[in-house]
Amino acid sequence: MSDKVELAVRLTASTVIVYMLISTLYLYVALGERWDLVLSALLNERVHGAIVISVVSAFLVGALAIAAAIPVAYVLTYSDFRGKSILETFLIDLPQTFPPVTEGLVYLLMFGPLGLAYTFAAVVIAKFYVSAPFTISFAARRFREIKESGIDTIARSLGARTSHILGRILLPVSFRDLTAGFSLTWARAMGELAATLIFAGAIPWATETLPSLVYLTSRESTEVAIAASVIAESLSIISLLLFKLIAGRSR
Amino acid sequence: MKSLSVRGVSKHFGNVKALNGIDLFVEPSELMVVMGPSGCGKTTLLLVILGALRPDEGSIWINNEDITDVPIEERNIGYVPQDFGLFPHLNVYENIAFGLRVKGYPQSEINRKVKELLGAVGLNGLEKRRPMELSGGQKQRVALARALAINPSLLLLDEPLSNIDEMTKAEVMANLKGLRRKINITTLCVTHNPEDAFKLGDRIAIMYSGKIIQCGKPEEILEKPRNEIVKKIIAPIYVLWNKH
Repeated sequence: MSDKVELAVRLTASTVIVYMLISTLYLYVALGERWDLVLSALLNERVHGAIVISVVSAFLVGALAIAAAIPVAYVLTYSDFRGKSILETFLIDLPQTFPPVTEGLVYLLMFGPLGLAYTFAAVVIAKFYVSAPFTISFAARRFREIKESGIDTIARSLGARTSHILGRILLPVSFRDLTAGFSLTWARAMGELAATLIFAGAIPWATETLPSLVYLTSRESTEVAIAASVIAESLSIISLLLFKLIAGRSR
Repeated sequence: MKSLSVRGVSKHFGNVKALNGIDLFVEPSELMVVMGPSGCGKTTLLLVILGALRPDEGSIWINNEDITDVPIEERNIGYVPQDFGLFPHLNVYENIAFGLRVKGYPQSEINRKVKELLGAVGLNGLEKRRPMELSGGQKQRVALARALAINPSLLLLDEPLSNIDEMTKAEVMANLKGLRRKINITTLCVTHNPEDAFKLGDRIAIMYSGKIIQCGKPEEILEKPRNEIVKKIIAPIYVLWNKH
């Protein structure tokens, strides 16, 4: 008699795998059922606005994340101070687990009085907090590896100053890590909903993103929600494949 | 040519005294080998001289200049680490040119100097290779050329013969000796291997647990090892030598 536990493990695993795949791909089934309605929704101006706002803000967040990650990773690598590992948790781990709704509320209270609420800038600010840590952690990890390899010390002994260390060693060697960080940050920024919705609202062609649009139309005009979702999901699949390609090559 | 003088240098890591009052003088254009077992503080000594670590006590002098407070990038000391530490993203040419580039030399000068060094270490034609396409011996030659490109006043070598197979070792030994005949530079080399130390060194400093316990010409050390610890450290050579 064959092993019953083995069979049970295999069955459970198969069920979970099939369930996850269906969850990922069901959207395209729903799309197939209402093909013509969704197609007309794709011509909807509001959908176009959400695509533009989402993509542009996510690119800005990615660029800002790189600009922020380089100095932060440098300090985390080269400065020794008390509480560094706690600070790192606050900078990298916490933003990824922090409830985005709360973070949106925090920004509403913090930046609302400055007139930043419900603006395009608010979209970028809300997305940055949850998405930037990917790039920061990728950069910090690679900078540390470079430091451990000692090539920065050699560069210094050859006369390199901090600008040379950054421009000729750290950045070129970690180029792929920064690109990989950028693509994950971009994907995370594309999917962010709660913080953006609370702090930036959902004004078409100003602050309404694809996730906000899906949320707001999921009940009354499902075809619009499906259209927006298909675009969002396809973009995230593409960016993930791009990330895999970059990360795979860097090994 | 310049002399190196290490005066009363100590360095702690927590409770561990890695260097305990080191005094060492290297004559101009001499090759001094610091030899001792793993963990005796050799690499720490190199890094303190290089300027990557600050000593807790004591001072480092090049000729008559106290360089203890001079930052690493201004010391002008050539350094070849045990793993060669080539810049993985740069080809052979750019690795050698690195120091000249950051010091702002004009391109024509960089070209001339790199060509000259490629010839001196016998790497003509390999300019475009990446470090990962080189053999161990070739990597070391690039690392040597890179260190020498800045016309350093001193060359530091960390275990130059220990990361390579026996075949390459003969090649590297020949490289080192040939290069030193051409470029007459004051050199400090550390190794744990007595055989290498006695083959390479004009003089040898025996290091044990953070201290230099004997320093002298190879034959002096073999004739009069100061104590049992020295005898033990140089044992592989000592036994052979006593058979003569």
